[in-house]
Amino acid sequence: MEAFASTAPVRVPLEHRFSPYTDNGGTTLAVAGSDFCVIAADTRQSEGYNINTRYSPKLYPLSNGSVLAIGGMQADASTLAKRVEQRLEWYQFKHDKPMNTQAVAHMVSTMLYGKRFFPYFAWVTIGGMDENGNGCVFSFDPVGTIEKHLWQCSGSSSKLIQPFLDSQMGHKHELLPPGELTAQRATLLVKDGFTSATERDIYTGDFLEIYTITRDGRTRELIELKRD
Amino acid sequence: MDTHPGNWGNPRPHGGSSDLDILRPVDGLAPAPSAAHGSSALPVSRTQQPIVTGTSVLGIKYKDGVMLAADTLASYGSLAQIRDMKRLVAFGDHTVIGASGDMSDWQHIQHILNDCIIDEYANGDGHQLHPAHIFEYTSRVMYGRRSQVNPLWNSLVVGGFRDGKHFLGYVDLLGTTYQSSTIATGYGSYIAQPLLRKQVEGREDELTEADAAKILDESMRVLFYRDARSLNKIQRATINPSGVSITEPYSLQTEWSFAEGIKGYGAIYE
Amino acid sequence: MPLDLSFLDLKPAAARFMPASVLAPLDGPLEHDAIATFDLAPVSNPTEFIHNQMSKDAEHRIHMAKGTTTLAFKFAKGVVVAVDSRATMGPYIGSSNVKKVIEINPFLLGTMAGSAADCQYWERVLGTRARLYELRNKERISVAAASKLLCNMVYGYKGMGLSMGTMVTGWDKKGPGLYYVDSDGQRLTNHLFSVGSGSTYAYGVLDAGYDYDLSVADAIDLARRSIFHATYRDAYSGGSVNVYHVKEGGWEFISKTDVFDLHYEYQDQPRPALV
Repeated sequence: MEAFASTAPVRVPLEHRFSPYTDNGGTTLAVAGSDFCVIAADTRQSEGYNINTRYSPKLYPLSNGSVLAIGGMQADASTLAKRVEQRLEWYQFKHDKPMNTQAVAHMVSTMLYGKRFFPYFAWVTIGGMDENGNGCVFSFDPVGTIEKHLWQCSGSSSKLIQPFLDSQMGHKHELLPPGELTAQRATLLVKDGFTSATERDIYTGDFLEIYTITRDGRTRELIELKRD
Repeated sequence: MDTHPGNWGNPRPHGGSSDLDILRPVDGLAPAPSAAHGSSALPVSRTQQPIVTGTSVLGIKYKDGVMLAADTLASYGSLAQIRDMKRLVAFGDHTVIGASGDMSDWQHIQHILNDCIIDEYANGDGHQLHPAHIFEYTSRVMYGRRSQVNPLWNSLVVGGFRDGKHFLGYVDLLGTTYQSSTIATGYGSYIAQPLLRKQVEGREDELTEADAAKILDESMRVLFYRDARSLNKIQRATINPSGVSITEPYSLQTEWSFAEGIKGYGAIYE
Repeated sequence: MPLDLSFLDLKPAAARFMPASVLAPLDGPLEHDAIATFDLAPVSNPTEFIHNQMSKDAEHRIHMAKGTTTLAFKFAKGVVVAVDSRATMGPYIGSSNVKKVIEINPFLLGTMAGSAADCQYWERVLGTRARLYELRNKERISVAAASKLLCNMVYGYKGMGLSMGTMVTGWDKKGPGLYYVDSDGQRLTNHLFSVGSGSTYAYGVLDAGYDYDLSVADAIDLARRSIFHATYRDAYSGGSVNVYHVKEGGWEFISKTDVFDLHYEYQDQPRPALV
């Protein structure tokens, strides 16, 4: 039958040329408030159209109290997280105090740039408390550009969630200035953002892992997202 | 290894870029840095492709342990070259690794891991590596080689059971890792994984060893029907509180009468 | 005393910075004035590798923040620097609050165009080099010397994919200094520069209104207006306008204004007469 003759270019992989990179999908998000930081990520790990696993954490709680969120390629992400954690250990041994969040952020920036010519395929966000007890968020591109934010979403759903946060947290859609953001409202918006993104992005779903960081420490929450 | 019969007995070409150069052994070192600024250095060919390959490996968790399954075929392209390949191998008393992908790379991995196990044994402290340790070690080896752009072309399933804890993990040529209660590599990730998830997810604490064996046998049979690079001669590895046991290769019964109705890519009903 | 003939070592400059051991270069201790070494892809042609990974048809393209309008000009009262704040990744606006003026130290400013990571990293290295210069020579580094250090550092990586177009400004013994340095290794000095995808629009406004004897207020207004008009016409520029003024006592941050507000501010003003 004529209808079955496809005109789509079908390429048969005659030769495998090795690419050292892959994208395992997923979305990370962090919000800084005056006395808190909320940092979240979904836990789906994908490869193409396959879901490898429904729970592969993209959040790495660090020994200094901050949380590292890494999307992109899982192998690069876990390697980077291990190197960062080891640096924190060395710092602790050398200075007998934990590294502060801002220092971790600048260290991560130079670690990423150290692989400028063979980059980690990793979108990194750090959430924590600064020295004054205020929430702070730093994000990076794969080669170490550092930027400080009040809220930041990276990964496969960043284009879906970031404008939503700009509107709801930054009031960019109206002239009224935004009011004081509470941890409760931030968490609510984070959950709304992820449930909506799950509806439209095939690489986001399964579970949402959230860390809330305050002066009193760090709490973890795991809620379900749609698994389709 | 030069596998083309026409070249047997001839010296291996040097410096050229024939297809067979991909098989040239390379040392683990980077080329001289000066290569970065021009083409004065000879091109180093290390990007390879799998040659003799094994197909899917399946793994599931069940109530009392972890079970893996794989067939015993190693293919050379479409040729069923080796029909008694051991693709499930135990490392220590609590861990089994199942390998798909390039079989020579897999044998290299076995050497590396056995060296590691022997080093640990030689300490004489009676300690043995946990499944999670062997998994971590393997994943660093795999990631290390991908970072040298000289990968070990495999997808590995690591199954283990120790101190009442189940372990089932995956690692591949890029160093990608994950853990799950069902894992399937290669073709199995398309065909067997949905079957495994349907039968295992949420029932990990109920399934008996007999249930697990039945699920894996059934999935391997389905794979054999559709995966042209598979064989109905398979092995199963069971890791439970009493240790590791790997079955001798055995054949799955098949029933082909349904195939009468298949034309083209699927059944045609008239 | 034997002559130091090491300069005859005709290795490419970058080769000197390359790691003896390709893996784990940054984990070891660093000498204070040593330049960090970088991991290279262990392939026969690492340059080609990174170019391929960042090319448009790479399977897993590594995007970097790009696109900009920046400007700086010298006048009787110092240097005015103005920049936009938009970062684009393809058509996506990655950020509207980028700090494109990099505060190297209290007397030196650098601007950011091209790859944000390259500018941030190398101008931070420049900061450490400038500080070492002060400690060794008991006086501040000149703008000429600082810009030349930067230029020489990035020249060592020429052809390896660095992307940087920066203006280094500051105040030294000779007064205000303004240098343009880019990742090709070009280094120029002049009274007036604009760099980035929106630079042509900025030049149009700037050239029409520029005068060496401008008052400080007029100079700042001209700089801000030039960036604003670039953000109006260049899709890759936008966000806010950051303005700095470099004076004898060091630089001063003047303002950050959202271009949205500038639009309505300028809308009601009479158009400046073009001579």
